[in-house]
Amino acid sequence: MSGNATFRRIIRRETHSPRTVAMVIAAVLSIVALAYLGIEIVLSLLLQPALLVSPVSAGDWLTGIPEQQPVWAIIAAASALAVIGIVFCVIALTPGRLPKHQMVTEGSAVLVDNAVIAAALAQYISDHTGIVRDRISVGVSHRVVDVTVSPDAGLPVVDTQIRELVASELEHYQLTRGVKTRVRTPQQHKGSYS
Amino acid sequence: MNNTNRFINRTLILVVGIVLFAVGAGIVIVFAWSAAADWWTTFAAYAHTWLDDAITRTTIGNTTANWVAFGSLAAIAIVIVLLIVTLARLGGGRTNALIRTGGHDSADGRIVIDTGFASDALMKSLGERPEILFGRVSTANVRRKPMLHVSITPRQNTSPRHVADDVERLLDNLTALTGQHIPTYVSIHSGLRARLARDERGIA
Repeated sequence: MSGNATFRRIIRRETHSPRTVAMVIAAVLSIVALAYLGIEIVLSLLLQPALLVSPVSAGDWLTGIPEQQPVWAIIAAASALAVIGIVFCVIALTPGRLPKHQMVTEGSAVLVDNAVIAAALAQYISDHTGIVRDRISVGVSHRVVDVTVSPDAGLPVVDTQIRELVASELEHYQLTRGVKTRVRTPQQHKGSYS
Repeated sequence: MNNTNRFINRTLILVVGIVLFAVGAGIVIVFAWSAAADWWTTFAAYAHTWLDDAITRTTIGNTTANWVAFGSLAAIAIVIVLLIVTLARLGGGRTNALIRTGGHDSADGRIVIDTGFASDALMKSLGERPEILFGRVSTANVRRKPMLHVSITPRQNTSPRHVADDVERLLDNLTALTGQHIPTYVSIHSGLRARLARDERGIA
């Protein structure tokens, strides 16, 4: 069932950002700018004073832009405009993948937030090693599971054991995309000697 | 889950981005590079003359009205309307009818099962489970076919597989109840609600 085109479509849509916020900002900015331009044109047609700049003087200003002052202000404003433009282009072109994993299932499409997987893995490790839950932090990304364990002084941490625990639990979750496991055990927690 | 047209979203963002970048970078280049400044002065003078000429040629009678201004206003109006239509069409695709049987040509008439029915059935069972904090059931049309969306926020530290299997079983029951398999999208969420709730675990 997961190979079904409808499911593929929903999975693809739900794992990528729709970019609606940026789109609304871009559209509203465009509407405001165009509406302002339209109002200035109408005012100049009716021979009324302009709100800010009449189209004719704006055209003259643009024609002679290399000689306009103050140079630094114009360059600063133009640079800001260019940077905002780049940001919009990046938003439009990057995939915008959301932090979610797909699970193998029979009759439906299932997506899980990475944070849910991370918390469940941490709890599982805690249950099976006796390390306090607060001393285990797990980060789950698209390709990597990052486990950091810093138990209280005196408790031994066995890398391979944690690795195996994570592997077996992940196998149980049946994520459609395989992830690599990284285990980090920084220096034993200090300050608990007193 | 909605029917927002993402291609239009991204195209619009890209166009606005390119325009902003082109204007900004263009102005910077004109200031920084004298050759570009010369080119701009020549080009702008030419464009200015052309525009003035076009305005004089299309001026109506003894007024200030001219077709260049009218044309620009019409173009602006069209683009604004298109933008507003695009904004208004965001989202959508929600429906209340989960299952529709037959049609007007069917002898038995038509039976429509509401999302509310599936929602009540699923939420009743999910509500009995302590590890599930919050759930929501809705229906959206995907490719003109209704699809059930079950959104679940489990308590933190709950195995997502456990939740997924539970929901699958409930969906199987729903299939048995309605006699029709409904394609379903299940999303399992974390979030503030899960983080703030007490971590309540039974003895394993």
